[in-house]
Order: sequence, then C-alpha cells, then structure tokens
Amino acid sequence: MSDTATPSPNATPVDGGRWRRLPEWIQPRDRELSGTGRRRLVEVTLLILAGLLLAVATVNDVVEQTHVNHRLNADLRTWREYTGHDYKNVSTEQDIYGHTTRDVVCGNTTPGPPKERIQLCLQMTGPVIDGRRAARGGWYLPPKAEDAPAFRYGCFGTATPSEFCGRAAAGAAGSPEGTSPETSQ
Amino acid sequence: MDSVVGSGGGVVGPSVVDRPGKSAGDAGRLSTSRFARLREHPQAERWVRALIVLCTLVLVAATLEIVLDAAVGHSVLIPKQPDISSWMSGIGTRLGYRTFLIALLAFTAAYAVLLGLARRISKRWAVILVGALQLIVFVGPVLISTDVFSYIAYARMGVEHAINPYTHGPIAIVHDPVYQYVGKDWKHVATAYGPLYTLLSYPLAPLGLKAALWGMKLEALLAGAGTLALTWRCARVRDLDPVLALLVVGANPLWVIYGLGGAHNDLIMTLFMMAAVSFSLAGRDASAAASVVAGALVKATVAALLPFMILSRRKLAPILGALGALALAAVFGYAVFGIHGIDLVAALNRDAAFVSTDSFPTELAHLVGKPGVFPIDHDLLKGGLVLIVGYLLWRTWRGYDWVAASGWTLLAISVTSTWLLPWYTLWSLPLAVVVRDRRLLAATLAVQALFIVHQMAPLLVPVG
Repeated sequence: MSDTATPSPNATPVDGGRWRRLPEWIQPRDRELSGTGRRRLVEVTLLILAGLLLAVATVNDVVEQTHVNHRLNADLRTWREYTGHDYKNVSTEQDIYGHTTRDVVCGNTTPGPPKERIQLCLQMTGPVIDGRRAARGGWYLPPKAEDAPAFRYGCFGTATPSEFCGRAAAGAAGSPEGTSPETSQ
Repeated sequence: MDSVVGSGGGVVGPSVVDRPGKSAGDAGRLSTSRFARLREHPQAERWVRALIVLCTLVLVAATLEIVLDAAVGHSVLIPKQPDISSWMSGIGTRLGYRTFLIALLAFTAAYAVLLGLARRISKRWAVILVGALQLIVFVGPVLISTDVFSYIAYARMGVEHAINPYTHGPIAIVHDPVYQYVGKDWKHVATAYGPLYTLLSYPLAPLGLKAALWGMKLEALLAGAGTLALTWRCARVRDLDPVLALLVVGANPLWVIYGLGGAHNDLIMTLFMMAAVSFSLAGRDASAAASVVAGALVKATVAALLPFMILSRRKLAPILGALGALALAAVFGYAVFGIHGIDLVAALNRDAAFVSTDSFPTELAHLVGKPGVFPIDHDLLKGGLVLIVGYLLWRTWRGYDWVAASGWTLLAISVTSTWLLPWYTLWSLPLAVVVRDRRLLAATLAVQALFIVHQMAPLLVPVG
C-alpha cells in the first residue's frame, strides 16, 4: 500500500527467481518497504504546493469572473438606458476570440419573446463609469436570427458595415421605426 | 447496527448512530478514543446525533430544492428537454443561479460535516440517505448537461436512421425529435464513446424520446447503485469503513447533482471500474482485466487502470483477460460500426484538444495573464501527465497499491485536462475510498472543492 506499510515477509522481491537476476533496487515487490518517510514527505510537500497553486488560480479566476460580471451588468444597464426598454431578456456576448473587453449586447426592439422581434445589438467598450459603459456602435438583426455577420444589417458607429455587417446592403432599407441608432458615450 | 439507539434518544425507525461493532469496520470505528470518550458523555452524543440529523435534512432539502425548481423549467441551468417532470412543477420556482449555488454550497457543507461524523452513522441511516438522494434526482428532470440527449441521438442515428454515429454527428438526423435537445457544440460531433456503450444504448432508441430518456436515467441510476454496492464491498474486503466509503461517493454533491442529475455514462464506466477492483481483490485477475477493457469500451479513460493492474500482478492472467476482451470487442465493434467504431484513440485526441473554462490549465493560464491555453500548453500538460504516470508505474512495480496508483492517474488526467467537466472529478472517487493511502481521497475532495468554488462568481456578482 503506502510507503508506511508494515514491513512483512512479503516486503521483499517476489516471483521466485524470475526477477532475482535484476539488481535489488529494480526488483518488483508485493508490498513497499516502510522506508524512512522521506519520500512521503517529498510527495506530500509537492501535493500541497500543487494544491496551493490550483487554489490561487481558482480564486484568481473567481475574482476575474466577478469583475467580468460587474462589466456585463454595466453593459445591460447601458443597453436598457440607451433603448429605453427595461427588458429582462437581453443577451450579452463577450469577445472570446479577441479576448478584448468589447461586449455585444442584443435585445428586442419591441416587446415580445426573446429573439422573436427585430433585435438591436450594441457594442460596449471602455471602462465602467457610474455603472455604465460606452456604446460606440451596433447593428440590427431580423427576428429569430443568431448574431452572425450574415444576418446583421444597419451597422452604425464603429461597427463598420464592411467588417461587421454581412447584409450591409440591406441596411440601406433603413432602421426600424422608433429606434434610430446613434452612437453614444 | 441497524437497530434503535439505546441511549434515551427515543429514535424510532432507522438509528442514526452505530451500536458496538458487529464487523471489522465497526471495530475500527469504536476503537477511536475520541468517540469512546464521546460515549461517556451522553449530552455530547446527543449533539452529534442532532448534527447528523440536521446534515441529513440539509442534504435532502438542498437536493429537493434543486430538483423541484428545475422541474419548473425555463432555467439556464436546465437543458431544454421533453416534459418528463411536469407532475412536480407546481411546487418550486424557476431555478436561478443564486438558488442553485446556495443549495450546492449547503449540500457541500452538510456533506463535509457528515463525512467528519461518518464513524457515528449507522449502515441503515447511510443507505437510506444515499438511496433517497439518488431517487430524488432520478425522478426529476435532467440537470445541467445536454449530454444525455447526445447519447440518445447517437442511438437513434444507428437504430432508426441507419447512420453510423462514429462517422456523423447528430446534425445528420436534423429532423429527428431528439435533435433539438442536443447541445449546440455537439451537433456536428461524432460519438466519442466506446462501442459497448453505444450498443448498450441501442435498445432504448426505438422506444421514443421520453421512454429513451427515462431509460438513460434508469441506466445511470442502476450503474451508480452498482458502483456504490461494489465500493462498499471493496472497502469491506480491505477492512476499511464501508459506511464512510458509501457516504463519500453516494452523498457527494458532484455525484448526485451533476453525475446522476445529468444521467452521465461516466457512472457506467465507474461500475466496470469497481467491478474490476472487486474481481482483482477476489484474485480473479483475468475477469478484472476484462472488466477494465469493458469499462474502456464505454469511456476510454478507465483503460488507465490496466497497466497498473498488470504491473502489480506480474501474471499472464490479466494480460490474457484484457486481450480476450479486446479481441471480442474489436470483432463486434468492427462488425457493427466499422473501423471508426474501434478507433478510440482518434476520439480521445479530438476531445483532448477541447478547452473548458472550468479546467485547471485554463485557470492557470489566466493566473499568468494569458487569455487561455495554447497548443504548447497542451504539449506541456501531456508531458507532465506522462511524468506522473511514469512515477506511479515505478511505485507500483516497487509495491505501491495499484488501485491507489490508478486513482492518482485518473485524478491527474482530470486535473491536467483542458476539458474538465464536473463529472470527470468523480472518476477517482470510488477508488480513493477503497485504498489505505488517504492522501488520494483528500486530493480528490480538494479538487472537487476547488471546482465548486470556481462556480461561485455568479453568487458574488449576479448578472441580470
């Protein structure tokens, strides 16, 4: 079992003569020798160090995530103030590819189930100031569409049509009534 | 053991605490001077009993809270699923992160206290508690994960649509009723599970979606119960406390809420794993090795046990047993699924490249300021894992318990994996309670505790 197992007649090389030709230090054993406990001390020390490292990494991640959540709350608050709609079902998406703090927040432009109406997506950037962030650009999505370039139209602000809107031409049709977009700080 | 407490508690039904020893495990428990002293103080004993009852109630209440709230549906924690638990949906309210995390924390705290008092808990009390937790989760909806719908989709692909699940993802059956429930990350992914598991799931496919879902839940329940029974048996054979072993595994929050709650096939893998340990302890080495191979044909990870078993035994029997089972599986796997059905290495390599936010390598990357893990990190992690396994193989050759070495290896795999899911931390748990090296149990529980801590961010700053 462990290296503190009681020495026994079995704590010797086994299997008759099959392994006897090997040097003693390499011969197989049925049970470990009790030893001095030094190896156990080294193993336990390494385990504690590894555990501490993982614990620090875990706590660091939780703290980082709470900061991200704080930012996402500011994004949601900004979207609701910008549109004047206090909707509950507003989705946020982080920049998981570029690893920037530029988030995209999408929600319906008129009351209805999630993604069942024309959606307005806003790009949020910059620091959280007074619980809000800057909405520097955005686009529209048709009902039931996911936020993919092929479905976007009506890009505005820093969301340039060539980079963000696959349906830039469709944007020429104009933005939905009552939600004329403009960038804001 | 199972009788009413003698000391004036007036407890009716299953007793909370043990009476003087009737088995080897009990003798070990009662010899502890701390508890012997406790017996001399009836008031202290009453407090211990009250604490055990309180922890039991917390475990049951937390599980009920999660299941009843989950039955309401419309929660980000509950996958979209067919209506199988509407009969209980009027009791709870929609499950939010806050409620879930508080229930999970309460469950974990009660579990920790209960483990500390395990020596004072009777067999019957432990069995009833663990059984109740499993049954509560069983009758409820699927929790947390969409994996079970992938299992059903793969089965329906093979049986209903004559499509090989080893070459196509569920996207191939886009008009099948199960398709809408498959997780969006897995719609294009062919199955990574072994041919034995896929064949086991086939009989459920023609039953319809709801019946197949209940079948999957029943499979997980029975596999979990089998694992617990074998864990109990192995602990007894090794003269370890079976009540502690049962509670550590069967009342574990990740086992109950995530493992059984999601009806994960990891429980079937652990069943074969513990069957292998049980066979090995009975001296049936060929059957033990064959059982490991059978487990690997459910989920390949458990194959990690085989080299340790062979090295420890140094006999021909386990090698022959493994080869026999492997040959049989290869013939069946090839006949039913073709070459892709037996190419588990390709599936493992594919999955090893995935990255989850809960994995420790991702957390370490964040700690050093990197956005995530890179290909070089994968290589470093593989190198580290090889070193650990090499050291454990050497220790096993020199007499270290092969079961413990296997447990360390499974734990190392989950810790170094960039794709860590909560039920992966369960792999080493049943092994950890049947070995004398208690460091393995401490390390496994510590890893699980860190995983739970990592879930807590929404509790500190909820998004909404």
